[in-house]
Parts: sequence; structure tokens; C-alpha cells
Amino acid sequence: MSDEDHDFESKADAGASKTYPQQAGTIRKNGYIVIKGRPCKVVEVSTSKTGKHGHAKCHFVGIDIFNAKKLEDIVPSSHNCDVPHVSRTDYQLIDISEDGFVSLLTESGNTKDDLRLPTDETLLASIKEGFAEGKDLVVTVMSAMGEEQICALKDIGPK
Amino acid sequence: MIRKACFCLCFIMQNASSPDAYVQAKVAAVGAQLMKRGWLEFPDAEKDAFLSEVKQAVLGNHGVDAQFMGVNFLESLVSEFSPSTSSAMGLPREFHEQCRITLERDYLKKFYCWAQDATLSVTNKVVECDSTAIEVKVCAAALRLMFQIMNWEFQCNKSALDLAKKGLNMFSSGVRNDTVMLKKSECVLVQPGPAWHDVLISSGHIGWLLGLYGTLRQKFSYDSHWLDSPIAVSARQLIVQLCSLTGTVFPSDNGQTQQHHLVQMLSGIIQWIDPPDAISSAIECGKSESELLDGCRALLSIATLTTPMIFHQLLKSISTFGTLSLLSALMCEAVKACLANNNEEETWSWYARDILLDTWTAILEPKDSGKSVVLPPDGKSAAANVFELIVQSELNVAAASAFDDGDDYDNIQTSISVMDERLSSYALIARAAIDVTIPLLDRLFSERFSSLHQGRGKSDPTRTLEELYSLLLIIGHVLADEGEGETPLVPEALQCNFVDIVEAEKHPVVILYGSIIKFAEQSLDQEMRAAFFSPRLMEAIIWFLARWSATYLMPLESGKQFSSNKHDLQHEPQLTRIALLSFCGDQNQGKLVLDIIVRISIITLVSYPGENDLQALTCCQLLPVLVRRNICVHLVTLESWHNLASAFANDRNLFSLNAIHQRSLAEALIRSAIGMSNPEASNQYVRDLMGQMTAYLVDISSKNDLKVVAQQPDAILSVTFLLERLRGAARASEPRTQKAIFQMGVAIMNPVLTLLETYKHESAVVYLLLKFVVDWVDGQIVFLEAKDTAVVISFCMRLLQLYSSHNIGKISLSLSSSLLSEASTDKYKDLRALLQLLTNLCSKDLVDFSRDSDEVESTDIAQVVYLGLHIVTPLISLDMLKYPKLCHDYFALLSHMLEVYPEKVPQLNSEAFAHIIGTLDFGIHHQDTEVVDMCLRALKALASYHYKERGTGKEGLGSYASGLMDPNGKLQEGILSRFLRSLLQLLLFEDYSTELVSSAADALLPLILCEQGLYQRLAHELIEKQMDPSLKSRLAIALRCLTSSNQLSSSLDRLNYQKFRKNLLNFLIEVRGFLRTM
Repeated sequence: MSDEDHDFESKADAGASKTYPQQAGTIRKNGYIVIKGRPCKVVEVSTSKTGKHGHAKCHFVGIDIFNAKKLEDIVPSSHNCDVPHVSRTDYQLIDISEDGFVSLLTESGNTKDDLRLPTDETLLASIKEGFAEGKDLVVTVMSAMGEEQICALKDIGPK
Repeated sequence: MIRKACFCLCFIMQNASSPDAYVQAKVAAVGAQLMKRGWLEFPDAEKDAFLSEVKQAVLGNHGVDAQFMGVNFLESLVSEFSPSTSSAMGLPREFHEQCRITLERDYLKKFYCWAQDATLSVTNKVVECDSTAIEVKVCAAALRLMFQIMNWEFQCNKSALDLAKKGLNMFSSGVRNDTVMLKKSECVLVQPGPAWHDVLISSGHIGWLLGLYGTLRQKFSYDSHWLDSPIAVSARQLIVQLCSLTGTVFPSDNGQTQQHHLVQMLSGIIQWIDPPDAISSAIECGKSESELLDGCRALLSIATLTTPMIFHQLLKSISTFGTLSLLSALMCEAVKACLANNNEEETWSWYARDILLDTWTAILEPKDSGKSVVLPPDGKSAAANVFELIVQSELNVAAASAFDDGDDYDNIQTSISVMDERLSSYALIARAAIDVTIPLLDRLFSERFSSLHQGRGKSDPTRTLEELYSLLLIIGHVLADEGEGETPLVPEALQCNFVDIVEAEKHPVVILYGSIIKFAEQSLDQEMRAAFFSPRLMEAIIWFLARWSATYLMPLESGKQFSSNKHDLQHEPQLTRIALLSFCGDQNQGKLVLDIIVRISIITLVSYPGENDLQALTCCQLLPVLVRRNICVHLVTLESWHNLASAFANDRNLFSLNAIHQRSLAEALIRSAIGMSNPEASNQYVRDLMGQMTAYLVDISSKNDLKVVAQQPDAILSVTFLLERLRGAARASEPRTQKAIFQMGVAIMNPVLTLLETYKHESAVVYLLLKFVVDWVDGQIVFLEAKDTAVVISFCMRLLQLYSSHNIGKISLSLSSSLLSEASTDKYKDLRALLQLLTNLCSKDLVDFSRDSDEVESTDIAQVVYLGLHIVTPLISLDMLKYPKLCHDYFALLSHMLEVYPEKVPQLNSEAFAHIIGTLDFGIHHQDTEVVDMCLRALKALASYHYKERGTGKEGLGSYASGLMDPNGKLQEGILSRFLRSLLQLLLFEDYSTELVSSAADALLPLILCEQGLYQRLAHELIEKQMDPSLKSRLAIALRCLTSSNQLSSSLDRLNYQKFRKNLLNFLIEVRGFLRTM
């Protein structure tokens, strides 16, 4: 699997755009924003002015939703920023393969086998543990700007 | 111990001449500590003998070195006995307190006299020789000791009642109460009481002290460093301290003696500060500023003790001008000096300006109930001079900083809060000389205004803009007070002046605010706006308009005054007052001005995209002031208000406001509906305003491709904004508009559930949905009739279940720890909202305004809330309970339910019941006393319910109390037995706050009564475990007393609870000591 494949797929997908413009002044903490080409969750917004009697500008601190890197940006608050289209989909977890991929059951009954397991040890451990215990797990897959990652787990099995 | 203290003393005396000052000081401190340690045990004779040794040394009978040491020792002793500087020594507060009282009563005055005598004994030498002699050191130390004694927190003269009022605080009050009212410049009142009269007042002590300082000052006038030498500093400190002398040390002769004292002080101090200009320029040339600053401090001390009139007169008796004139001249010099080196902070002029500003505040601050202070005529002109210079300097600072770039300057909120104290002091000064200062402000404002126009297109207006910004802040403070939640009145000083002006248009105050409003109105013109009205200037304008409107716009009394006081109209001052108050009243210009303000508000929302600070001011400060009831009546008739409403409903521009501002805007718009003539119109107005928004939500939630569309950022944005608006509307619920707002909520009940499903991963939207429901239910529930209540409740239950099904067992995964903690914060906020929702539902049972007849089957609120708790509880993890607010809300709700509805508990299913019991079990062992207290109250309610029910032959808690068969066939203990055990365990063996004993007693009594058998068994076990026979019998007796003394009966009434509380407390005092050591 490569990133290009994904781009192509999502473009074909109902013509949905990867990002949307939104006025910087309306972006709040906990919202999303694209900084330096990366989809980020905003963890801090502050405003200041360009010169005392100038216009407001927003200072954003964001955390890359995929690789957790911190990014910052300053934008005049009446200008538009790119906001990533972040979508999340639930799948039932069917299998974890030896080579680091998961097999997921989609709503339509097909399987999705192209998602790699996270490389981070702790994330990996919590997925693997749950699966090994034989629980019925639903994973939430977050996708934005052509990337995908498992972002949450939920045990739906009977107790 | 006294021998050891003696040893210390001998040691320092013998080594008095050694150069090792640090060691000496430490040994003196140790000696003082030893002295204090044994203070209450030493016989008086021994103490006296020891101290008379010290006295001999201090008086100089053992040579100068020993004298110096003696004074130092006394200094250590006094500081050791003073609560704020004492060392803890591991002794109780009460010990320190007693030491303090006896030292103050028996010795303090003696020490002071000794110090004075020590000074006297070396004075001649000090005056003769140069400043390095050892005598100078002695003199400085003695003066320092006297200063320290004057700094003592005298208590003996405070009445016993005063101390009793403070109660327990007496032992913990390290700080004086009277310092609270003082500003940042330190100034404490010195109230040593009548015993000190002879030493301080009648003996000529002050004259001697001032004379000493004056002579020395004269002698060393050639040495510019002398002013900062220890002897000069200590002498001045003592003098300044003596300026604060007050209370019963003066005889009760209408303050004659005290005034005389102050005049004397002032006559000594005047050389330090007069003439101000010469001194100021001397300081600029390198003279030390400390004397001037001390002089200013002395003025502050005197100002806090006197009325403005007396303050002014003090200097007049010895000089040609009054004290206020001197103060004004000093302040002017300080401000000028500030201006001259405005880039350096922390110069002398800054300190002097701050101290003097505090002095003005001390003089001018209204002492009793808002009556403003009246100054004598020359005092007035002094105030006017100062104010003019202050404004000038503020304007210069503003102009100089206009081009400061970078992010380090503040927005209006912070700049006001930082400057607020200073600006209010300015306002006080301005109001003291209102007939000069108001026209001055108007002139300054108009000058800036016209210079903007003249320079249009030719020069850069930035300087002028910044000056206007600064002027607006000052004028706002002068004209109006901060309401702090109440409706502020027109300041007294403004109401009472200008008595000869009857026509409102000519009233200087009206002229001043008139020109500001006229200026603000120009922002409506697009070209003007682009040229001059920068966002920052608009912020100041909106801030000013908000502050001004709260006071002057259609004040409540304006209408009444007109009608009821007609017979008074001949009375001129009254006439002026009315003219001022009613000018912008509802009969007059008020509506016109209101219209202008509304139009300016629209401009800030529409024409300043992205200026969040400005829009925050408009939405959160200005509009709430406008939607007061009496203004709303006019507001809703204005075309501009309807324009705002329709822009809100239709204009995309307003859609780009920040979400929070959308909420406040919606709230203000809906709230204004109370001004409509009838309820139908109000409801129709709400429907018109919100109709489109609910329609949009209904529409989007019924789309087939909702799943795809909903996750697009623009859809999320629209949904959040609409929800914020609906939430704002819901918060503005009033009885009058309740119907329309209820319909609004009902219309989107299903969409809310759909959206909750769709956005289950979008925490921000989920939170908004929940908060909307919380606010909506909060505003509606008490008005609803049974049918509607049932609808709302079933909706809430579906909401809870849906939320729970999405979140139970969910684990968030992220590489970023900060994103993970954000996720858990989101969850916490959601859960708190859910608990609030349940709490709001609860209130239906307590307050109900609906007009239901009793026949209608009403919903059982208690059952619903128990069910809700059952749904929510599993979502609350132990980690979540670490958030104090959530924890508190949760236990408050739970204990409320158990206290008010214990009869519902037996009907709960075993799983729900187990949750509740588990929670209580967790709660009684919580660290937070309040949580434990709530749990104990819940326990009391459960046990007493059971006991009373059983008393009448009913089931009570039924099988929950008697014990249950668990699935494995084992009998589980009933909950009452379980809690009896754990509560006893807690009370006897664990740590808890003593505050909890009485609520624990209230829970324990019914538990014991319910479970007599178990209690006897536990008591028996407890006794048996005790090995020591004497302790064994003590325990047995104590246990017997617990349940039998004070004629404790087996009923559960108030009296019995009270008795048991006493019994339990005594029991615990008796046994806990030895039980816990096991």
C-alpha cells in the first residue's frame, strides 16, 4: 500500500475534498487545522495584533493527529485556513496478521486488509492484548488527507 | 534553660568587640529562643534578674561594645516573640500567643525606654564624631529596635469582644486584619494603647527624635551617602512609623492631641519633601531619593488617619500652603520625572508616583456609603493640577508607544485589569475637582477628534488613535463606576456638582459623553471606519459604551424622578441631578442613543471579520447591558435591533463569528423578547428568529448521505454554530418565551439523537449537544406539564442510553499524550454535563410551576433519575473521580437521591443497587471531607428509613438489608451490617477529619439500631482483643457509655441524634488514643 493509492481512492470517492477553507478566527481549541501540510488538532489558540492598531492574527498550536508532532502557525484572523476532512469509521476487528496488518470487517460485509498496525509499542500492545483475550473488538479508524490510523478501541462483546 | 540563655548572653558580651558579626547575631538569636522556650516557666524574679543584666548592658554600663550587643539581643528577643517572625520551635500556637501577650504587657515598653536611653547616652558622641564610630552603630541599632517595637502587633488594647469575635482565629492570625484595606504601599496602623501615652506623647519623645534626625542631617549635609546610612534609615523608618500612631494612646479629646502630634511630625518631615522641584532636581543630579520616598510614605500614613479637611489644614498651621497643595506639587514633580525617563521602570519617580497616588486614594476614597469627599477650594485646584498633569503624561506615554510592535502589549481586557487600580485612583482625583476636569477631558478629546479630521489623508493617525484609546479608558473611569454585578449609579460627585446648570444639553458631563458618542457614531461611515476606526480603537469605544450605558442609558430612576419629585423642582441641585439623569432616559434622547449603539454593535460584528476581541466585547459586555428589562421595551421597537436579528438569522457574515459569541448574541436577541407588548408577540419573535435554524438541523439530520456529509468540516462548522445559537436561546428562557423555546427544543429532539449518533467520534459536537440539552432542560423543566415532562424525560433517557452505548468500554489510542489527556478531559466534561442534566431533572420534584391537576398521571422523577444514574455510573471511572468538580457533582446527586427518595431503593434491581453501594463504599474512604460527609448523610438516610419502616411493620430495604443469596448460593451480608462494620472500622482505626464526627454519629446511630445483634458482637470482639486488663475495662465502660449515657433512647428524633453525637465524640476521645496504637 502506498499513500498515492489512497489519494486516488479518496478523490474518486464522491468528489470529497481533503480540506476545506475556514476563517481562522472561527477555529477553536479542539478543532482541526492543516499546518505545514499536516492535519492537526488545535490545542492552543491565542490572538494578537499586527501593530497596535492593526488587524488581529491567530496563533495556533496544533498536534499532528497521526504522528503527534507539535506544529505552530500564525494566520491573520480574517483569512482562511485549511481544515482537514477528518473522518472516522468503525470496523469490527477480524484478525491481526503476522506481517503487521489488520483485517477489518466493513459495514457492507467486505473486509479491509490494507491497514497497518501502529508501530508504537503501547498502542500495539493494547490492540493485541484485547484481541488475544478473544474479546469482540470494534476499532475506530481515523482518516484524513490520505492517511489512516486506528484511533480508538471498543469492546462490544457480552461480558 | 535560663542558664543557657545567660551563657549565650555572656558569650556575646565577652566577645562583643570581635568582628564576627554573623556569629554574634546567631548566638543572640539562640539566646532569644532559649529565653522564649522557658518563658512561661521561669519565675519572674529570675527573668527580671536576667533582663536587668541586659538592661545594664544596653544602658552602656559595660562599655559601648556590650551596649551594641545588648541592643541586638533585645532585637532578637522582640523578633522571636512577634508571631510573624517567631520560629516555630515545635510548640503550639497558644504558647506563642501567651509569650506575646506577656511580653507586650510586661516588658515591651521597658525595652523601648531602654533603647531610648541607649540612644540618649551616645547622642553627644554621635553628634560630635564622624559617622564611623561605634557609637553611631549603637545609635542606629537602638533606633532600629524602637522601630521594631513600634511595628509590634499590639493587641492588649483591642477589646475582649473583638478577640472573641475572631474566635479560633486568634491563634492563627499572623496577619493583621486592618492591612486588608490598605493598598500596595505598606502602611499599618500603630495602636499601642493608653499605657504608652507617657513614653511616646507626653515626654517630648517626638520632638527629641525629630531634633536628633534634623541635627544629624544638618551635620552630614556635605555627605551625599549619609541619607542611606543605617542610622539615617532607621531614624526615618521610626519617624514614618510614628506617623501611623493612633488609637487610645491619645487621650479622648476630639483628636486634638493627635492632630498636634501629626503637625509636629509634619514639621519635621517637611524638610525632606519641600520644595518638591528643588528636591526632584537634586535627585536627578545624584542625591539619594530615600528621604523623599520616606516623606511620601509619611504623607500616606497621615492621609489614612485623617479626613481630607484636617489633612489639608495640618500644614497650614505651620506654613503658607495646605498639605494638599504640597501633595499636588510633589505628585507633579514625580509625574514629570516619570515622563522624563519614561523608558526606565523602577526609578524613584515610579515609586514616588505610586505612593502618592495611594495617598490621594486614601484621602479621596469615600469612607461611608458612597458620600463623595469634599475638598477645600485650594485642595480642589491642587487635585485639578495633578489630574491635568496625569492625563498629559498618560497621553504622552500613549503617543510614544503607538508604534510599539510585537506581541507583548495587551488587549483591552488585560490593559484595563492591569491599569484598573491606577485608573480608579485617577477617577477619584478627577471627581474631586469635577468642574475643572470634565471640561478638560472634553477639550482634550475634541482636540484629538479634530486633529484626526485635519490630518486626514495627510498624516499617519496612529498616535492620535492611541491617545484617543487612552482617553476613552480614563473618561470611562471618571464618568462611571464598575457595576460588579449590580446596577451602578451615576457617581455622587457628578450628580452634585454644576448646580447652576439646568439645561441638560449644557451639562458638562452630557457634553463630554455627547462628544464621545458623536465620535463613535462616525464609525458607521465606511470611509471613516477604514481611515480611523482601527479594531483597537473600536474595542475602547465598545468598552466605553458598555460602561456608560450601564450607568446613564435609561436609568431606572430617571422616569420616576420626573413624576414623583415635581414639587422639588424649584430646588436647584435636584434640578441639575434630574437633568443629568434623565437626559438619556426613556423619555428623552435615550432611544436615539440606543439606536446609535445598536448600529455600532452591528458594525463591529459585520465589518470587523476575525476580530475576536472586539466581537467578544460587543457580545459579552455591551449587548447584555442593553437587554435589561426597561431598555428592552424600546429595543424591540428599533429598526436597527430588527436588522441585527435578521442579520443573525440570515447573514452569512454573522456566521463567521466565533462560536461563543454566537451563543451570547443569540442569548441577547432572545432575551430582548421580554420587551414585547404581549406574550404572543414574544413567542412569535422567538419562532421567527430560531425557525430557520431548527429547520436546518432537521433537514441535515434527515439526509440519506448524512454519514458522508456530516463529517465534512463545513458541515461540522454549521452544526456547531447552530447548536451554540440554540444553546444561547435556551439559556435565555423566560416564562414569557418559554413556550416557543420549548417548541424549538421539541422540534430538534430527534435530530439531536441522530447527530449524537453521527458525531459520536467528534467530541466537540457531542459536548455541545449535551450542553444544549442541559441548558434547555434547565430552563424548561419547571414549567412543563405532565405530558410534556414525559416527552422530555423519555428524550433525556434515550440520550443517556445512546451516549452510554457509544462510550462504554471505549479506549482512545493516540501517540500524543497531550491528545490523550484532551480526550479524557472531553469525557470528563461530557459526564459532568450528564450529571447536570440529571440534577436539572431532579429539580422538577422540588420546584414546579405547571398548572397540572393532580389526576394526571405524572412521571416518577425519582425513578427516572435513579435509572439515569444507573446508566451514567459505569461511565465514571476512578480516574474520572479525580476531577474534583465531577466527583463533587456525582456524590452530591447521589446523596441527594438517597436522602430524598430512600423509599425507591428497594425497587432498584440488584445491579443498580450494587453500583450505588459500591459508590458509597468508595465515598466514605475518600480524602475530600465534603464527599465523605455526603456519603454519611446518604447512609443515615438509608438506615433510618429502614429502621422506621421496620418499626411500623413494613419491609424497609427488604432483602438488601437482610442479606442476599449471590449467584453461587452463598449468603451475602446485608448492606447495613456491611456499613456498620466499615464505619466502625473507619471511626476507630483510620484517619479522618474531626469535622466528620457529627455526621458519622448521625449515620452510626440508625445503623446500630438496625443491627443490634451485630453491633453487640463487634463490641464484644473489640473488648476481647484488648490484652491489657485496665484498657479492657476502660473500653468496655466507654462502649457502654456510648449507647447508654445521656439517656439515649432508641428513637430517631433530633434530640436523640444530638445526644448520640456528644456520646460518640466522648467515646472517641476516650478510646481512640489507645486503640490506634495497637
